[in-house]
Amino acid sequence: MTARAFSAGHVVALVERATRPVPLLWPLGSAVAVNPLWDLRSQPFPTALAHARRTLGIAGLPSADVLADAFESGRVTVADLEAALEDHDRGRLAAIAPDALRSLEQGSVVATVLERHEQLVDASLATAVDREVAKYCAAYVGGLVTGPAAGATGFFASWRSAVEADPAGRRLGVDALLDSVDGGPEAVIATVLARLGLDEPGAVDELTGQSTRLPGWAAHAKWRSRWAAPDHAGPALGLVDYLAVRLVYDLAALVQLGHRPGRGSCCDHVRLAAPGPVPVPSPRVVGGQTGRRLAELDPDVAGMVWLTAYEGHYRDGLLAALERPAARAPARAPLAQVVCCIDARSEGLRRHLEALGDYETFGFAGFFGVPARVWPFAGSGPVDLLPVLLHPSVELTEQPADDAVGVARLAGLRQLAAVGSAVTSTREGTIAPYLLAEAGGLGLGPLTVLRTVAPARFDRLRRRVVQRFAPPVDVHPVLDGPGAPDDTEQALFVETALRTMGLTDGFAPVVVLCGHGSTTENNPYGSALDCGACGAARGGTSARVAAAMCNRAEVRKLLAARGIVVPVETVFVAAEHDTATDTVTLFPPAGMAPVNRDRLARIGRDLARAGAEVAEERAATLPGTGRRPRGRSVAEQLVARSTDWAQVQPEWGLARCAGLVIGPRRLTVGVDLERRVFLHSYEPDTDPDGSALEAILTGPMVVAQWISAAYYHSAVDPDVLGAGDKVAHNVVAGIGVYQGAGGDLRLGLPRQAVFDGSSLYHEPMRLLVLVAAPRARVDAVVARNPVVAELADGEWVHLAVRDADRTWLRQPGGGWRPWTRRRDSEDPPATTQCAADARDHGEENARG
Amino acid sequence: MDERWGLTPMVKVEVVVSGEDAEVVADLFATAGAVGFTAVANVSGVGHGGAHQGRLAFNDKNALALLMVVLPPDGVDGLLDGLRSLLSERPGVLFVSDAFVSRPEYFR
Repeated sequence: MTARAFSAGHVVALVERATRPVPLLWPLGSAVAVNPLWDLRSQPFPTALAHARRTLGIAGLPSADVLADAFESGRVTVADLEAALEDHDRGRLAAIAPDALRSLEQGSVVATVLERHEQLVDASLATAVDREVAKYCAAYVGGLVTGPAAGATGFFASWRSAVEADPAGRRLGVDALLDSVDGGPEAVIATVLARLGLDEPGAVDELTGQSTRLPGWAAHAKWRSRWAAPDHAGPALGLVDYLAVRLVYDLAALVQLGHRPGRGSCCDHVRLAAPGPVPVPSPRVVGGQTGRRLAELDPDVAGMVWLTAYEGHYRDGLLAALERPAARAPARAPLAQVVCCIDARSEGLRRHLEALGDYETFGFAGFFGVPARVWPFAGSGPVDLLPVLLHPSVELTEQPADDAVGVARLAGLRQLAAVGSAVTSTREGTIAPYLLAEAGGLGLGPLTVLRTVAPARFDRLRRRVVQRFAPPVDVHPVLDGPGAPDDTEQALFVETALRTMGLTDGFAPVVVLCGHGSTTENNPYGSALDCGACGAARGGTSARVAAAMCNRAEVRKLLAARGIVVPVETVFVAAEHDTATDTVTLFPPAGMAPVNRDRLARIGRDLARAGAEVAEERAATLPGTGRRPRGRSVAEQLVARSTDWAQVQPEWGLARCAGLVIGPRRLTVGVDLERRVFLHSYEPDTDPDGSALEAILTGPMVVAQWISAAYYHSAVDPDVLGAGDKVAHNVVAGIGVYQGAGGDLRLGLPRQAVFDGSSLYHEPMRLLVLVAAPRARVDAVVARNPVVAELADGEWVHLAVRDADRTWLRQPGGGWRPWTRRRDSEDPPATTQCAADARDHGEENARG
Repeated sequence: MDERWGLTPMVKVEVVVSGEDAEVVADLFATAGAVGFTAVANVSGVGHGGAHQGRLAFNDKNALALLMVVLPPDGVDGLLDGLRSLLSERPGVLFVSDAFVSRPEYFR
């Protein structure tokens, strides 16, 4: 029996609805950390987890072992569990929707017709289909299948032209079907869904099942269809094309297996078992009355109570630490104001710099409010330096400060690229690699040994060679040429940034805009360690663009007319913090006054000192970095890590990130937040209409939630939503990695980003967002921005407010309750006062 | 052809959706054979779910977008199938109205 065929438009909408559980996967060059369940966020977090269990097969919660260990170590206490149980009893936890709970109790997953039919027959053609689909996806994105039918484009057309000659396709019976499934991919999907006899709900389930068989490829296709720029280079593997190919294979397999389609078909009643209940620690682990109360709960609810207790312990510790009087007031007449990215890794640098006494620091998203597409000088193409939530609204170029050196650098880079290209193409040939090994082995062999045993020395040698052929040159953005944003637009970018972070007066002589990036070697996930606010790129260029705008007289004149008067003597200086080595590079503007050059020299020394102290802190947490192995300093060890091509953990990135504080620095100054908290500056007194807060909650908070969720899910579901072991990664056409030789693309972050050996290093928690603002203002922002309401009221984040010296916690669905300090949070283990800093720098503080 | 004005009847479809859904609506327009459409990003207003803010400083995806397309009447059925299906689960509104154009060849 054949059902009514859906129209092409209907198919497009069905695909969109069906693929909402599918995560998103950005290419490796811009490996943005993303909440894999982002498109399920209209449901409360626990309901979305239930949905994802039925579609992606994830657990969604920390494992019973992790939670039991946390209880044993005191990371979760009986008091934390009692508080979470009370929250549950009083309806203060987002609940799992009843129908989602029923679906879980029925224990079935969303499955394709082929998967259900295979339960009745002894066959495993679904696995063979996956293998074939993955093969063609990889070939297509790698440019190996490029012969679409005349006039047609896209993955489906390319596959169709190639599969006719493919013996594997013939074995599955695809060739016999091709004539009967004619037309474009939408028409083909409609035809197959009709032949399977599926109505609208059945079609959505079928397409969901298809898209979650290989969630990595589907996630790439979803990114390409929904998030990639229309002019993004490379083969466009779109969702509709991808699902059309899958469905043809499945239909062929079902025909082979004698499936009778239509209402009352043989496999209609078949259900595939869902993963069992989320495991939680045995009630015996806790014991007593608390254990008995936990035992009475549905396992899924108990899992949420455990997670809430785990999160509550950290929350209470952080909030208690922030209630103490600040150990140090921000400097009043600082030598410099340093604006760092909100990235949690900046917190350490800010803390140690402030401890030196003459510095005031701020946090702002590392693109500094300029949504730019930049063509770097001597780069290979444009780079979008902005959060992926934004479209670039300006396009900029860079030019060298010295034309002659710039020309020499370009010529040198071309020569080096030609040599590299020759070696690469020789290596990829059939016979040539042997000749290359014979001819070049004597020279390349020792270099390879040096690179392995002394990576820092090799890196220095390589830099010297590159500098010999391609001399380095200072570059600056072109802000007054054709195509550059006009003065008014530049002033608007600067004004928005300054007002949002609350820096509108009291400018220091030097204002440093400090982006960040991470130097790593042989690391497909290197961009994941760079700046998320810069689209997973290094942040130095964004800092240079913003600083150059701030220094333009035309911009300052317009700013003054808008009430922001930047003193003539104030100079903005760009910088970049390398988070792998904790070194900071300054990019001084040309023509700086001598007095500012002297100031900048001191700032450079202080940044180096602060960075060295951060490095000491970080080194204590990095596997294999001892105090002074073989006499090497911590700084030398970190440089060696960052240049080691065999190093799988160059830094911890944002592992253990836990919170976001939106407020003035005086709220957090002097507290060691252990580089776990994103810090966004905000002055509630200068934002009466809440527009700055709205910008922060709809932009940076969303980005921070994505990062937090990416780490969370990579930690709790590493097999499905994590990228697996780096040691066995194979890069696929620059868009993702395989674990091993083929199959599906891996999602999320590598195992080494969240695990320390076999132990979990990241603490999986939902992001705690603390806002210093009146509750009514936060309520107003939530009310007019659905995305904020979904995140806050669905408990994708925990929203807290510091309002008139009291802290309030937002309830699911709205409303606030006061947070009260518990007795056992007197000495929070995770967040401590900067005792050492205060001791070490007491004299400077007194002077500052 | 409209007798009074010498214009050709068409159908205008207007959709207000979340910026995140603008791409799929554009896909639906393309699938319906539209050769062009108009999109207005960051629109504000009050709807079923309350007030919606317009332009957001640091987020183009989660403000509302208004998309408009004009099509010959015979191209509208599939588009409406798709939009109805999409809006059965996603927030948004759909308006369909008669329109008259002076250069019909621009819309085919």
